[in-house]
Amino acid sequence: MSAKTAVSTTSLLSRPGLWVTAWFVTWLVARGVLESTMPTWLRVVAALAPTPIAAAALVTIVRGARELDELEKRIQLEALAIAFVLAVLLIMTLGLLELAITLNRDDWSYRHVWAMLPPMYFAGLVIARRRYS
Amino acid sequence: MKNRLKVLRAERDWSQAELADRLAVSRQTVNSIETGKYDPSLPLALRIGKLFGQPVESIFLDGDEA
Repeated sequence: MSAKTAVSTTSLLSRPGLWVTAWFVTWLVARGVLESTMPTWLRVVAALAPTPIAAAALVTIVRGARELDELEKRIQLEALAIAFVLAVLLIMTLGLLELAITLNRDDWSYRHVWAMLPPMYFAGLVIARRRYS
Repeated sequence: MKNRLKVLRAERDWSQAELADRLAVSRQTVNSIETGKYDPSLPLALRIGKLFGQPVESIFLDGDEA
């Protein structure tokens, strides 16, 4: 492997987008495995499979965040603040609703709620970015 | 906080992108500072002062001076 190829491979592996995409793909594969009939141990392995990919994504995201310029850091902080409050509100409201009515677990289980969190971050990002543009 | 960044940049005929490169920040950061939507950190304000060869307080003006 040439030095140039090694550098470009290292550069590629340091991109958060790559790991987040890999994380999503691993989740899709895990979902596929869990929808089929498999031994329990394999189902548990499939359920945990996205974890190491998520860890790699986390490392690259944190490294990337450290390299952002100061305005982008502020934008990201505001986006995360908005997303965090919305996430707490969603989970708190679902908890209260659970006491008030019977929520259909086919619509409101963990596997549905987590997917609502990334859009909250992106909504926060749009709001924060608009403020400084 | 008001500032004279846009005037100083125009005097040197620099684009926002060029100034951003010289300050090692994004073009959005330069734009936000120029439009008064974002006040830079002290290290960045000092870099701006050094780049233009002027004291920070002559570039960034508080509300009473503006």
